Amino acid sequence: MKRETAIKIDNLTVKFDGRTVIERFSLSLAFGDKVTLTGRSGSGKSTILRSILGFKEPDGGSIAIEGEPVTSTSIWGLRTRLAYVAQEPDLGTGQVRQVLERPFAYHANARLWGNLSRAPELFHRFMLPAEMMDKDIVALSGGERQRVAIVSAILLQRPIFLLDEASSALDKTARQAVADFFRSQDGLTVLSVAHDPEGFSFSDNIIELPGGFDGVRQ
Amino acid sequence: MNVVDISFLSLAAGYGLLIFPLSIILWYRIPIVSDTLLAMLRMTVQLLFVGLYLQVVFSLNNFWLNGAWLLVMIGVADTSITRGCGLRLSRFAGPLFLSLLVGTAVPLFFFVVPILGRPHLLDAQYAIPIGGMILGNCLRADIIGVSNFYRSIRKSQKAFLQALAQGARLVEATRPFLRDACHAALAPTVASMATIGLVSLPGMMTGVILAGADPMTAIKYQIAIMIAIFSGTAITITMAIWLTMKSSFTTYGVLDGRIFKS
Repeated sequence: MKRETAIKIDNLTVKFDGRTVIERFSLSLAFGDKVTLTGRSGSGKSTILRSILGFKEPDGGSIAIEGEPVTSTSIWGLRTRLAYVAQEPDLGTGQVRQVLERPFAYHANARLWGNLSRAPELFHRFMLPAEMMDKDIVALSGGERQRVAIVSAILLQRPIFLLDEASSALDKTARQAVADFFRSQDGLTVLSVAHDPEGFSFSDNIIELPGGFDGVRQ
Repeated sequence: MNVVDISFLSLAAGYGLLIFPLSIILWYRIPIVSDTLLAMLRMTVQLLFVGLYLQVVFSLNNFWLNGAWLLVMIGVADTSITRGCGLRLSRFAGPLFLSLLVGTAVPLFFFVVPILGRPHLLDAQYAIPIGGMILGNCLRADIIGVSNFYRSIRKSQKAFLQALAQGARLVEATRPFLRDACHAALAPTVASMATIGLVSLPGMMTGVILAGADPMTAIKYQIAIMIAIFSGTAITITMAIWLTMKSSFTTYGVLDGRIFKS
Protein backbone atom coordinates (compact mmCIF):
# COMPACT_ATOMS: atom_id res chain seq x y z
CA MET A 1 0.00 0.00 0.00
CA LYS A 2 1.40 3.39 -0.96
CA ARG A 3 1.48 6.01 1.78
CA GLU A 4 2.38 9.69 1.61
CA THR A 5 4.58 11.25 -1.07
CA ALA A 6 8.20 10.14 -1.02
CA ILE A 7 9.47 12.83 -3.41
CA LYS A 8 7.55 15.87 -4.56
CA ILE A 9 9.10 18.23 -7.08
CA ASP A 10 7.07 21.33 -7.75
CA ASN A 11 7.84 23.67 -10.66
CA LEU A 12 11.59 23.10 -10.37
CA THR A 13 13.72 25.51 -12.40
CA VAL A 14 17.49 25.13 -12.57
CA LYS A 15 19.95 27.31 -14.47
CA PHE A 16 23.66 26.99 -15.16
CA ASP A 17 25.47 30.25 -15.90
CA GLY A 18 22.18 31.87 -16.82
CA ARG A 19 21.17 29.00 -19.15
CA THR A 20 17.96 27.25 -18.18
CA VAL A 21 18.42 23.49 -17.99
CA ILE A 22 15.22 22.57 -16.16
CA GLU A 23 12.15 24.77 -16.33
CA ARG A 24 9.04 24.31 -14.22
CA PHE A 25 9.48 20.58 -13.82
CA SER A 26 7.04 18.80 -11.52
CA LEU A 27 6.99 15.21 -10.39
CA SER A 28 5.50 13.26 -7.55
CA LEU A 29 6.58 9.82 -6.35
CA ALA A 30 4.59 7.92 -3.74
CA PHE A 31 6.37 5.44 -1.49
CA GLY A 32 7.26 2.35 -3.46
CA ASP A 33 7.06 4.12 -6.84
CA LYS A 34 9.78 3.35 -9.34
CA VAL A 35 10.24 6.01 -11.99
CA THR A 36 12.88 6.43 -14.66
CA LEU A 37 13.79 9.76 -16.23
CA THR A 38 15.16 9.55 -19.71
CA GLY A 39 16.11 12.03 -22.39
CA ARG A 40 18.99 13.39 -24.40
CA SER A 41 22.29 14.53 -22.89
CA GLY A 42 21.90 17.94 -21.34
CA SER A 43 18.19 17.56 -20.79
CA GLY A 44 18.80 17.90 -17.07
CA LYS A 45 18.11 14.34 -15.87
CA SER A 46 21.10 14.20 -13.54
CA THR A 47 20.51 17.80 -12.45
CA ILE A 48 17.14 16.78 -11.02
CA LEU A 49 18.82 14.11 -8.86
CA ARG A 50 21.53 16.59 -7.82
CA SER A 51 18.87 19.13 -6.83
CA ILE A 52 17.09 16.54 -4.70
CA LEU A 53 20.41 15.89 -2.92
CA GLY A 54 21.01 19.62 -2.42
CA PHE A 55 24.08 19.65 -4.66
CA LYS A 56 22.48 22.14 -7.01
CA GLU A 57 20.27 24.79 -5.51
CA PRO A 58 17.09 25.41 -7.55
CA ASP A 59 16.53 28.78 -9.18
CA GLY A 60 12.80 28.29 -8.76
CA GLY A 61 10.24 25.86 -7.42
CA SER A 62 10.60 23.47 -4.53
CA ILE A 63 11.46 19.91 -3.60
CA ALA A 64 10.11 17.96 -0.67
CA ILE A 65 11.20 14.55 0.60
CA GLU A 66 8.72 12.61 2.71
CA GLY A 67 6.76 15.83 3.02
CA GLU A 68 9.70 17.88 4.32
CA PRO A 69 10.91 20.72 2.07
CA VAL A 70 14.58 20.54 1.04
CA THR A 71 16.37 23.49 2.65
CA SER A 72 19.94 24.13 3.69
CA THR A 73 18.97 23.06 7.21
CA SER A 74 16.79 20.05 6.46
CA ILE A 75 19.02 18.55 3.75
CA TRP A 76 21.52 17.15 6.27
CA GLY A 77 18.83 14.98 7.81
CA LEU A 78 17.05 14.27 4.53
CA ARG A 79 20.21 12.83 2.95
CA THR A 80 19.94 10.01 5.46
CA ARG A 81 16.66 9.06 3.75
CA LEU A 82 18.33 8.92 0.34
CA ALA A 83 20.72 6.53 -1.34
CA TYR A 84 22.60 7.87 -4.36
CA VAL A 85 24.49 5.91 -6.98
CA ALA A 86 26.38 8.00 -9.52
CA GLN A 87 27.08 7.03 -13.11
CA GLU A 88 30.82 6.78 -12.57
CA PRO A 89 30.90 6.44 -8.82
CA ASP A 90 33.96 7.77 -7.04
CA LEU A 91 33.98 5.94 -3.73
CA GLY A 92 37.33 7.29 -2.58
CA THR A 93 40.40 5.17 -2.07
CA GLY A 94 41.30 1.93 -0.30
CA GLN A 95 40.17 -1.68 -0.37
CA VAL A 96 36.56 -2.48 -1.29
CA ARG A 97 35.98 -3.56 2.32
CA GLN A 98 37.15 -0.14 3.57
CA VAL A 99 34.99 1.62 0.99
CA LEU A 100 31.93 -0.28 2.24
CA GLU A 101 32.77 0.39 5.88
CA ARG A 102 33.52 4.12 5.48
CA PRO A 103 29.90 5.44 5.48
CA PHE A 104 29.22 3.62 8.74
CA ALA A 105 31.87 5.75 10.43
CA TYR A 106 29.60 8.76 9.86
CA HIS A 107 27.55 9.68 12.88
CA ALA A 108 24.27 9.40 10.94
CA ASN A 109 24.96 5.76 9.98
CA ALA A 110 26.71 4.48 13.09
CA ARG A 111 23.64 2.52 14.25
CA LEU A 112 23.54 0.66 10.93
CA TRP A 113 27.02 -0.89 11.29
CA GLY A 114 25.49 -4.37 11.56
CA ASN A 115 24.20 -4.09 7.98
CA LEU A 116 27.74 -4.81 6.76
CA SER A 117 27.06 -8.47 7.46
CA ARG A 118 24.74 -8.41 4.40
CA ALA A 119 27.62 -7.53 2.08
CA PRO A 120 28.57 -11.14 1.12
CA GLU A 121 24.96 -11.98 0.22
CA LEU A 122 24.66 -8.83 -1.92
CA PHE A 123 28.02 -9.52 -3.57
CA HIS A 124 26.74 -12.94 -4.53
CA ARG A 125 23.46 -11.50 -5.78
CA PHE A 126 25.22 -8.98 -8.03
CA MET A 127 27.79 -11.53 -9.23
CA LEU A 128 30.77 -10.01 -7.49
CA PRO A 129 33.34 -12.53 -6.17
CA ALA A 130 33.82 -12.54 -2.41
CA GLU A 131 37.60 -12.07 -2.83
CA MET A 132 36.92 -8.66 -4.31
CA MET A 133 36.46 -7.35 -0.76
CA ASP A 134 40.23 -7.22 -0.38
CA LYS A 135 40.91 -5.61 -3.75
CA ASP A 136 41.79 -1.96 -4.19
CA ILE A 137 38.73 -0.06 -5.44
CA VAL A 138 40.74 1.65 -8.19
CA ALA A 139 41.70 -1.76 -9.61
CA LEU A 140 38.04 -2.58 -10.34
CA SER A 141 36.39 -2.22 -13.73
CA GLY A 142 33.67 0.39 -14.26
CA GLY A 143 30.94 -2.25 -14.03
CA GLU A 144 32.38 -3.74 -10.83
CA ARG A 145 32.66 -0.29 -9.27
CA GLN A 146 29.03 0.44 -10.13
CA ARG A 147 27.89 -2.77 -8.47
CA VAL A 148 30.00 -2.03 -5.37
CA ALA A 149 28.38 1.42 -5.27
CA ILE A 150 24.93 -0.18 -5.47
CA VAL A 151 25.83 -2.63 -2.67
CA SER A 152 27.13 0.28 -0.58
CA ALA A 153 23.87 2.18 -1.13
CA ILE A 154 21.74 -0.87 -0.23
CA LEU A 155 23.71 -1.46 2.98
CA LEU A 156 22.77 2.05 4.14
CA GLN A 157 19.15 0.90 4.23
CA ARG A 158 17.60 4.06 2.79
CA PRO A 159 13.94 4.15 1.74
CA ILE A 160 14.55 6.28 -1.40
CA PHE A 161 17.08 5.46 -4.12
CA LEU A 162 18.43 7.92 -6.67
CA LEU A 163 20.18 6.05 -9.46
CA ASP A 164 22.08 8.11 -12.02
CA GLU A 165 22.85 5.84 -14.97
CA ALA A 166 23.71 3.33 -12.27
CA SER A 167 23.80 0.34 -14.62
CA SER A 168 25.38 2.02 -17.65
CA ALA A 169 28.63 0.04 -17.36
CA LEU A 170 26.98 -3.31 -16.60
CA ASP A 171 26.63 -6.23 -18.97
CA LYS A 172 23.17 -7.64 -19.68
CA THR A 173 23.29 -10.29 -16.93
CA ALA A 174 24.50 -7.90 -14.24
CA ARG A 175 21.97 -5.31 -15.35
CA GLN A 176 19.23 -7.89 -15.04
CA ALA A 177 20.42 -8.81 -11.53
CA VAL A 178 20.20 -5.17 -10.49
CA ALA A 179 16.76 -4.77 -12.09
CA ASP A 180 15.54 -7.99 -10.36
CA PHE A 181 16.72 -6.68 -7.02
CA PHE A 182 14.86 -3.39 -7.26
CA ARG A 183 11.76 -5.09 -8.66
CA SER A 184 11.71 -7.36 -5.61
CA GLN A 185 11.80 -4.41 -3.19
CA ASP A 186 8.18 -3.26 -3.05
CA GLY A 187 8.77 -0.70 -0.33
CA LEU A 188 11.69 1.05 -2.01
CA THR A 189 11.11 4.26 -3.88
CA VAL A 190 13.44 4.54 -6.87
CA LEU A 191 13.99 7.57 -9.08
CA SER A 192 16.45 6.58 -11.76
CA VAL A 193 18.03 8.31 -14.70
CA ALA A 194 18.94 6.39 -17.85
CA HIS A 195 19.78 6.92 -21.47
CA ASP A 196 18.57 3.43 -22.15
CA PRO A 197 15.39 2.73 -20.15
CA GLU A 198 15.60 -0.98 -20.99
CA GLY A 199 17.99 -1.41 -18.12
CA PHE A 200 15.30 -0.24 -15.77
CA SER A 201 12.60 -2.71 -16.54
CA PHE A 202 11.57 -2.52 -12.90
CA SER A 203 10.21 1.01 -13.37
CA ASP A 204 6.46 1.65 -13.21
CA ASN A 205 6.80 4.77 -15.24
CA ILE A 206 9.30 6.22 -17.72
CA ILE A 207 9.35 9.97 -18.22
CA GLU A 208 11.14 11.52 -21.14
CA LEU A 209 12.58 14.96 -20.59
CA PRO A 210 12.30 17.19 -23.63
CA GLY A 211 15.55 19.03 -23.10
CA GLY A 212 15.36 21.54 -20.33
CA PHE A 213 12.24 23.40 -21.33
CA ASP A 214 8.71 23.06 -19.97
CA GLY A 215 9.24 19.88 -18.00
CA VAL A 216 6.96 16.90 -18.20
CA ARG A 217 4.47 16.14 -15.50
CA GLN A 218 3.73 12.66 -14.37
CA MET B 1 78.46 41.81 22.23
CA ASN B 2 80.92 39.36 20.70
CA VAL B 3 79.71 39.71 17.11
CA VAL B 4 82.18 41.34 14.71
CA ASP B 5 80.40 44.14 12.89
CA ILE B 6 80.66 44.47 9.09
CA SER B 7 81.39 47.99 7.89
CA PHE B 8 79.37 49.28 4.94
CA LEU B 9 82.60 49.50 2.94
CA SER B 10 83.37 45.83 3.64
CA LEU B 11 79.80 44.87 2.79
CA ALA B 12 80.11 46.73 -0.50
CA ALA B 13 83.24 44.71 -1.21
CA GLY B 14 81.18 41.60 -0.47
CA TYR B 15 79.08 42.39 -3.51
CA GLY B 16 82.24 41.64 -5.52
CA LEU B 17 81.49 37.96 -4.92
CA LEU B 18 78.54 38.36 -7.26
CA ILE B 19 80.98 38.35 -10.15
CA PHE B 20 80.89 34.53 -10.10
CA PRO B 21 77.13 33.93 -10.40
CA LEU B 22 76.71 36.85 -12.79
CA SER B 23 79.55 35.59 -15.00
CA ILE B 24 77.98 32.12 -15.13
CA ILE B 25 74.56 33.61 -15.93
CA LEU B 26 75.99 35.79 -18.71
CA TRP B 27 78.30 33.14 -20.12
CA TYR B 28 75.55 30.55 -20.46
CA ARG B 29 72.96 33.19 -21.28
CA ILE B 30 70.69 31.97 -18.48
CA PRO B 31 67.61 34.18 -18.79
CA ILE B 32 67.57 35.48 -15.21
CA VAL B 33 69.90 38.50 -15.43
CA SER B 34 67.26 41.14 -14.84
CA ASP B 35 65.50 39.00 -12.21
CA THR B 36 68.80 38.52 -10.37
CA LEU B 37 69.72 42.21 -10.41
CA LEU B 38 66.23 43.23 -9.32
CA ALA B 39 66.22 40.60 -6.55
CA MET B 40 69.62 41.80 -5.31
CA LEU B 41 68.41 45.39 -5.29
CA ARG B 42 65.19 44.50 -3.51
CA MET B 43 67.04 42.39 -0.93
CA THR B 44 69.43 45.22 -0.17
CA VAL B 45 66.80 47.95 0.07
CA GLN B 46 64.32 45.82 2.02
CA LEU B 47 66.89 44.61 4.54
CA LEU B 48 68.40 48.06 5.01
CA PHE B 49 64.94 49.48 5.59
CA VAL B 50 64.03 46.70 8.01
CA GLY B 51 67.42 47.06 9.73
CA LEU B 52 66.90 50.77 10.28
CA TYR B 53 63.36 50.23 11.51
CA LEU B 54 64.39 47.39 13.81
CA GLN B 55 67.13 49.53 15.31
CA VAL B 56 64.45 51.98 16.40
CA VAL B 57 62.20 49.14 17.60
CA PHE B 58 65.03 47.52 19.56
CA SER B 59 66.22 50.76 21.12
CA LEU B 60 62.71 51.72 22.25
CA ASN B 61 61.75 48.13 23.14
CA ASN B 62 58.16 49.20 23.62
CA PHE B 63 55.50 46.52 24.22
CA TRP B 64 52.99 48.10 21.84
CA LEU B 65 55.51 48.90 19.12
CA ASN B 66 56.90 45.35 19.19
CA GLY B 67 53.38 43.94 19.10
CA ALA B 68 52.50 46.21 16.17
CA TRP B 69 55.59 45.01 14.30
CA LEU B 70 54.53 41.39 14.75
CA LEU B 71 51.01 42.23 13.56
CA VAL B 72 52.42 43.92 10.45
CA MET B 73 54.52 40.80 9.73
CA ILE B 74 51.41 38.63 10.16
CA GLY B 75 49.44 40.94 7.84
CA VAL B 76 52.11 40.65 5.14
CA ALA B 77 52.19 36.86 5.57
CA ASP B 78 48.38 36.78 5.35
CA THR B 79 48.43 38.52 1.96
CA SER B 80 51.20 36.23 0.70
CA ILE B 81 49.18 33.11 1.57
CA THR B 82 46.04 34.15 -0.30
CA ARG B 83 48.17 35.12 -3.30
CA GLY B 84 50.17 31.89 -3.12
CA CYS B 85 47.03 29.74 -2.86
CA GLY B 86 45.21 31.43 -5.74
CA LEU B 87 42.29 32.14 -3.40
CA ARG B 88 40.15 35.22 -3.03
CA LEU B 89 41.66 37.52 -0.41
CA SER B 90 38.36 39.03 0.72
CA ARG B 91 37.06 35.68 2.02
CA PHE B 92 40.25 34.32 3.50
CA ALA B 93 42.12 37.33 4.89
CA GLY B 94 40.36 37.43 8.27
CA PRO B 95 40.44 33.70 9.10
CA LEU B 96 44.04 33.33 7.92
CA PHE B 97 45.15 36.35 9.94
CA LEU B 98 43.64 34.83 13.07
CA SER B 99 45.18 31.42 12.42
CA LEU B 100 48.62 32.97 11.85
CA LEU B 101 48.25 35.10 14.97
CA VAL B 102 47.39 32.12 17.19
CA GLY B 103 49.91 29.81 15.43
CA THR B 104 52.67 32.35 16.11
CA ALA B 105 51.61 33.69 19.51
CA VAL B 106 51.12 30.34 21.32
CA PRO B 107 54.59 28.84 20.57
CA LEU B 108 56.20 32.28 20.98
CA PHE B 109 54.73 32.52 24.46
CA PHE B 110 56.04 29.05 25.38
CA PHE B 111 59.46 29.88 23.96
CA VAL B 112 59.88 33.28 25.63
CA VAL B 113 58.19 32.77 28.99
CA PRO B 114 58.53 29.16 30.26
CA ILE B 115 61.61 28.13 28.20
CA LEU B 116 63.73 31.29 28.20
CA GLY B 117 62.23 32.54 31.45
CA ARG B 118 61.91 36.12 30.17
CA PRO B 119 59.46 38.25 32.14
CA HIS B 120 58.13 40.11 29.08
CA LEU B 121 56.55 38.21 26.19
CA LEU B 122 57.16 40.98 23.68
CA ASP B 123 60.80 41.73 24.54
CA ALA B 124 62.13 42.87 21.12
CA GLN B 125 65.37 40.84 21.32
CA TYR B 126 63.41 37.58 21.50
CA ALA B 127 59.89 38.23 20.28
CA ILE B 128 60.82 39.70 16.90
CA PRO B 129 63.40 37.17 15.63
CA ILE B 130 61.71 34.12 17.18
CA GLY B 131 58.23 35.30 16.20
CA GLY B 132 59.52 35.90 12.68
CA MET B 133 60.96 32.39 12.41
CA ILE B 134 57.75 30.78 13.63
CA LEU B 135 55.63 33.01 11.40
CA GLY B 136 57.75 32.29 8.32
CA ASN B 137 57.17 28.57 8.77
CA CYS B 138 53.46 29.08 9.50
CA LEU B 139 53.24 31.01 6.26
CA ARG B 140 54.78 28.17 4.26
CA ALA B 141 52.59 25.58 6.00
CA ASP B 142 49.42 27.58 5.32
CA ILE B 143 50.23 28.03 1.64
CA ILE B 144 50.81 24.29 1.23
CA GLY B 145 47.98 23.13 3.50
CA VAL B 146 45.15 25.50 2.59
CA SER B 147 45.90 25.20 -1.11
CA ASN B 148 46.11 21.39 -0.87
CA PHE B 149 42.82 21.19 1.06
CA TYR B 150 40.63 23.18 -1.32
CA ARG B 151 42.25 21.98 -4.54
CA SER B 152 41.93 18.33 -3.45
CA ILE B 153 38.23 18.75 -2.71
CA ARG B 154 37.72 20.41 -6.10
CA LYS B 155 39.67 17.64 -7.80
CA SER B 156 37.83 14.87 -5.93
CA GLN B 157 34.46 16.57 -6.04
CA LYS B 158 32.60 13.36 -6.89
CA ALA B 159 34.03 11.44 -3.93
CA PHE B 160 33.32 14.40 -1.66
CA LEU B 161 29.69 14.69 -2.81
CA GLN B 162 29.30 10.91 -2.50
CA ALA B 163 30.29 11.20 1.16
CA LEU B 164 27.68 13.93 1.69
CA ALA B 165 25.08 11.79 -0.10
CA GLN B 166 25.94 8.92 2.25
CA GLY B 167 24.97 11.10 5.20
CA ALA B 168 28.32 12.61 6.19
CA ARG B 169 28.29 15.94 7.95
CA LEU B 170 30.59 18.57 6.48
CA VAL B 171 33.22 17.90 9.13
CA GLU B 172 33.11 14.17 8.30
CA ALA B 173 33.19 14.61 4.52
CA THR B 174 36.16 16.99 4.72
CA ARG B 175 38.16 14.92 7.23
CA PRO B 176 40.20 12.89 4.70
CA PHE B 177 41.08 16.09 2.86
CA LEU B 178 41.99 17.83 6.13
CA ARG B 179 44.21 14.88 7.04
CA ASP B 180 46.02 15.00 3.68
CA ALA B 181 46.40 18.79 3.82
CA CYS B 182 47.87 18.69 7.34
CA HIS B 183 50.20 15.89 6.28
CA ALA B 184 51.43 17.91 3.30
CA ALA B 185 51.86 21.05 5.43
CA LEU B 186 53.69 19.34 8.30
CA ALA B 187 55.86 16.95 6.27
CA PRO B 188 58.59 19.53 5.42
CA THR B 189 59.05 20.42 9.12
CA VAL B 190 59.10 16.74 10.11
CA ALA B 191 61.71 16.01 7.41
CA SER B 192 63.73 19.00 8.47
CA MET B 193 63.67 17.86 12.15
CA ALA B 194 64.84 14.40 11.12
CA THR B 195 67.91 15.64 9.26
CA ILE B 196 68.73 18.84 11.11
CA GLY B 197 72.41 19.31 11.93
CA LEU B 198 73.55 16.53 9.61
CA VAL B 199 73.76 18.61 6.46
CA SER B 200 74.36 22.12 7.74
CA LEU B 201 74.06 24.12 10.92
CA PRO B 202 70.53 25.51 11.09
CA GLY B 203 69.91 29.26 11.02
CA MET B 204 69.10 29.91 14.61
CA MET B 205 71.99 27.80 15.89
CA THR B 206 74.35 29.66 13.59
CA GLY B 207 73.04 33.00 14.84
CA VAL B 208 73.46 32.05 18.49
CA ILE B 209 77.02 30.79 17.86
CA LEU B 210 77.89 33.97 15.97
CA ALA B 211 76.54 35.96 18.90
CA GLY B 212 79.21 34.29 21.02
CA ALA B 213 77.30 31.54 22.81
CA ASP B 214 78.79 28.06 23.21
CA PRO B 215 77.52 25.34 20.83
CA MET B 216 75.52 23.51 23.52
CA THR B 217 73.50 26.66 24.24
CA ALA B 218 73.00 27.10 20.50
CA ILE B 219 71.73 23.53 20.20
CA LYS B 220 69.23 24.03 23.02
CA TYR B 221 67.93 27.14 21.25
CA GLN B 222 67.67 25.19 18.02
CA ILE B 223 65.75 22.32 19.61
CA ALA B 224 63.36 24.77 21.26
CA ILE B 225 62.76 26.69 18.02
CA MET B 226 62.13 23.48 16.05
CA ILE B 227 59.49 22.41 18.59
CA ALA B 228 57.98 25.91 18.48
CA ILE B 229 57.90 25.88 14.68
CA PHE B 230 56.32 22.42 14.54
CA SER B 231 53.67 23.39 17.09
CA GLY B 232 53.00 26.68 15.34
CA THR B 233 52.57 25.08 11.93
CA ALA B 234 50.24 22.41 13.33
CA ILE B 235 48.10 25.03 15.09
CA THR B 236 47.97 27.45 12.17
CA ILE B 237 47.13 24.95 9.43
CA THR B 238 44.35 23.29 11.43
CA MET B 239 42.89 26.65 12.42
CA ALA B 240 43.25 28.06 8.91
CA ILE B 241 41.23 25.22 7.43
CA TRP B 242 38.60 25.23 10.17
CA LEU B 243 38.11 28.98 10.03
CA THR B 244 38.00 29.26 6.23
CA MET B 245 35.59 26.34 5.82
CA LYS B 246 32.55 28.30 6.92
CA SER B 247 32.79 30.74 4.02
CA SER B 248 34.06 28.21 1.46
CA PHE B 249 31.11 25.82 1.35
CA THR B 250 27.47 26.53 0.61
CA THR B 251 24.99 25.89 3.38
CA TYR B 252 24.23 22.62 1.55
CA GLY B 253 27.87 21.54 2.02
CA VAL B 254 29.00 22.02 -1.58
CA LEU B 255 32.38 23.68 -2.21
CA ASP B 256 31.84 27.23 -3.46
CA GLY B 257 33.86 27.52 -6.67
CA ARG B 258 34.01 31.30 -6.26
CA ILE B 259 36.75 30.95 -3.63
CA PHE B 260 39.24 30.25 -6.43
CA LYS B 261 40.67 33.12 -8.42
CA SER B 262 40.62 31.05 -11.60
